[in-house]
This record gives sequence, C-alpha cells and structure tokens, in this order.
Amino acid sequence: MFELFFYDFMQRSLLAAALVGALCSTIGVFVVLRGLAFMGAGTAHAAFAGVALGYLIGWPPLLLALLFGLATVWVTGWVEEKGRMKLDVSIGILYTATMALAILFIGLMKTYNAEVYGYLFGNVLAVTNEELLTIAGLSIVVIGAIVLFSKELYFIAFDQEMAEASGVPARRIFFLLLTLVALTVVISLKTVGGILVFAMILIPASTAYQLTHSLSTLTWYSIIIGVSCSVGGVLISSYWDIPSGPAIVLLATLLFFIAVLLSPKRQRQSLALN
Amino acid sequence: MRSVNSHPPPFIHFDHATFGFPGVVALEDISLEIQSGEFVGVIGPNGSGKTTLCRAVLGLMAPLKGHLRIFDCDCDELRCHHRAKIGYLPQKGVVDRNFPVTVLETVTMGRYGALGLFKRPGRKDREIAMESLAHVGMDMHKDTALGLLSGGQQQRVLIARALAQQPEVLLLDEPTTGLDITTQHNVVELVQHLHEELGLTVLLITHDINMIRSRVDRLVLLKTRLYAAGPPAEVLKPDILSQVYGKDLVITDKDVVIVEDYHHHH
Repeated sequence: MFELFFYDFMQRSLLAAALVGALCSTIGVFVVLRGLAFMGAGTAHAAFAGVALGYLIGWPPLLLALLFGLATVWVTGWVEEKGRMKLDVSIGILYTATMALAILFIGLMKTYNAEVYGYLFGNVLAVTNEELLTIAGLSIVVIGAIVLFSKELYFIAFDQEMAEASGVPARRIFFLLLTLVALTVVISLKTVGGILVFAMILIPASTAYQLTHSLSTLTWYSIIIGVSCSVGGVLISSYWDIPSGPAIVLLATLLFFIAVLLSPKRQRQSLALN
Repeated sequence: MRSVNSHPPPFIHFDHATFGFPGVVALEDISLEIQSGEFVGVIGPNGSGKTTLCRAVLGLMAPLKGHLRIFDCDCDELRCHHRAKIGYLPQKGVVDRNFPVTVLETVTMGRYGALGLFKRPGRKDREIAMESLAHVGMDMHKDTALGLLSGGQQQRVLIARALAQQPEVLLLDEPTTGLDITTQHNVVELVQHLHEELGLTVLLITHDINMIRSRVDRLVLLKTRLYAAGPPAEVLKPDILSQVYGKDLVITDKDVVIVEDYHHHH
C-alpha cells in the first residue's frame, strides 16, 4: 500500500483531502453550533447549479458556483433574521429550486459532460496542481478569517442576541459566517462533490460535539476528526479502488456512530435518568 | 429633599417614546427616567411590552416616535456604543443546555464586546471573569460544562457573564422563570446583593410582583403604556393594578398580589 505515496497524484490528493478536511471541519463547528446544517446542504446544491450554468454558458464554473452559493446563504440568512418565514421552509424551497435549475442547465447542454458530474460526486484523485493551489489559497483565507473572528463566531453561535447586546457586531459576524460557509462549499466542490460536501462540514463537528463540553476542545477534536477521515478515506478509496467521496463520508459517519455510543454526555444523561 | 437640579443626568431616559413595528405598537408614549444606582422592577402582564422595553434599553430597537437616551447617547438611530455598559441576562430557554461550553468560557464571553474585534482575551480578562464568578459564588465550578449545572446555577453563571462586561446597569429579563421557589429567592437575593455591593443600577423584568416588591426602589407597571412608576407602596394599589390586570387580579388579606395569568407561563 505504501508505494502509493510515491505517486504525484496521490500526494496531491492526500494534500487536497487534508486541506478540505481541515477547512470543512473548522467551519463545521460554527455551522453545527449555530444550527445552520440545513442551510449548508442547500448551499451545496445551489453551488452545483452554478457549476452547471458555468458549463452551459462557458463561464468559469467555480465563479458561478460561488455566486449561487453566496446568493443562497445571504437570502436565507436575511429570511432567518427577519423571521418572516420558518428557516426550514425557505431553505427547502431554495434547495429544490436550485436543484431544479441544475437539472435544467444540464438538460440544456447539447452533449453529455462528464466534468459536471465530477462536481456532483467529487473526485479527489483527479485534483490538478492548479486546483490544489486554489484550494490551498482559499483555505488560508477562510481559516484565517475564522481565526481572526473566532471569539465573535463562538459568541453568536452561543447566543446571537446576547452577543449583539454585549456590543459585538453580531449581524455582520453572522453574515461573515454565511459567506465563509459558501466559500467552503465551493472550495470543496471538486474534491468531495456537491452532494457529499455537507457531510464533511457536518459530521466531524457533530462527532466532536458528542465527546466534549468545551468549545476549544470541540474545535480541535473536529479538525483532527475531519483531517483523519479525509486522509483515511482517500487511502481506502485508492487501495480498494472505490470512489473517494463516499469513502471519506462513510468513514466519518462510522466514527460519528462510534462517538454517539461512547459519548460521555450520553452516559451522564442516562445516569441522571436512573 | 434634594432639588431636581442636583441629580446627575439619568442613565436611561425615555421621552414620550413609542416602540414597535410598522402597524404594531408594543410600547406607547413611554416617559421614564432611571437614575444611577436605582433598583427598578418592571412588571406587567404577558404581552405588555416588557421585553420590548428590554430590547430598547439594549439599543436593539429605536423609538418610532419620541426619544430614548441611554447614558450620553441618543438611541434614535441605533448607533449606540453603550451596549457593553449594560449587562444583560436574557430570558431562560434562550440558551441551549447542550451547548458545549464551560462555565469560564461562558463568562469570558462577557469580555468580548469590550475587547473589540481582533483582540484575544488575556490574563486581565480571565481575572475579571474569575472575579465575576466569585461574585455569584460559582468560581469553584469554572471548568464545569454549563449544561451540567442546575437551572439556578446556570442563571448565576449567566449573571456572572453579564458582570464580566463590568457594566453600569444590570438588565435581567425574567431571571426567575422556570426555577423552583427556593432558587427563585436565591437568584433575586443575589441580584439585590450585587446591587448593594457593587452599586449596580438594576432593571429587573418579572411577572412575580411579590418576589421583588420588598427589594426594589421603584416599580414600573406596564401594559403597552406606562401605568405607574414609583415606590412599590404607591404602585401596588388595587385601583392601579386592576386597571392593568383586570379580573385576573386577586389581592389577599395579607396584601399578597396574585395575578391569575401568571400560571399560564409554565
């Protein structure tokens, strides 16, 4: 198995997987704590519609993915803030509408385009050097922003109104978080795909959530779990020749269920009930 | 009696202020001054605008009509920078019990507003957080998960979070809801103690008139409009109370005020 490490493509994909794993699991902490899981799933599908439109009209697919993703998070964020509609309703509508757009765009293409499906299912083993550089650059931007604003991000996740009442610019931080979610989805699209990217954001943080009661520990656990699952998933996928996206996500899911079973929170709760 | 002119300017000054959303008036024509060092209880039935008053004082809502001045800031345009000076305890149930955060992490959040963007909490901030925990008697629980504490202990920790802002005003929205009677008394006693020890101005919003009537300097009685504001003995008169509570009001021979709708909140 170890001879695999000497291939260029393998080194690239391991690096890409580790970066995407770290990125998704870091932003995932705030997505899970702020209760934005469903919004993220909607964003991933919207971004995929952007990719499809890009291929249809000959524009850079990732640019349109970003525009679609940002439009989705900002609209849903605005709806949540105004409280005009239940969030699950507004996301549910946007989610299916953007998926319909994606199917429409693909249908309008004159020929079958395998690359579009690459963005839907992801293929980390096919990552090129330029793509790796883009992933690395954008990851630094997103993780840098998270580090810079981490205390405010934690605070709005804990209680946005309390944060605002304490003099933290909570609204702006909330929209920053939404923007970072959209960026993360777009960065990860090529490696894990539009369908699975949200698992990468959601599962490591939710797994860590089972294991600790401290915010800082939660973040570190989430990153360790995210990176290990991504790297482990790529190794499994190349060793057994199975698709990389599902390998990563199923490995993370397995860890999640193990964490649920072993959760100290759960044990304490059942003790309290007895 | 001191002359009016010798008073320092009030901390909070509502001047014929109306709050709400277009088409919905939550508070109408409120004129009220709260002075530095006062302990004020805000009472009124459900839906009387108590929480709106709270949001206004926090600078989260601008008056539709009239003026609101807090410290030296006009809040007519929501550009106030006084927020860190008001320590706020939101209604219970707002905070997720399972949120993975320790007691010290929670209280340190009280420093974030004052720190501003980009700055990390340092040793000084941790000291202030620990001091705040000591004030509420929870310093020995600093590494415990917030979710594992009892309801009363959680309220203490959240009050410590407000104290960590080193506020001038403590604003408490229904701090005793959902707690058992003994714990309710302990929490209100703690608030009174903080008012006396730290000289904090306290604005306490509650359903429970009897819990606070002997402790506050003034009561403010709301039902969209301001019905009365003054010492408890002047406000808790049957004719005034019945204007607000109507047939829900029972006053026992021991002068205990019972408001029937109180139980609907549990």
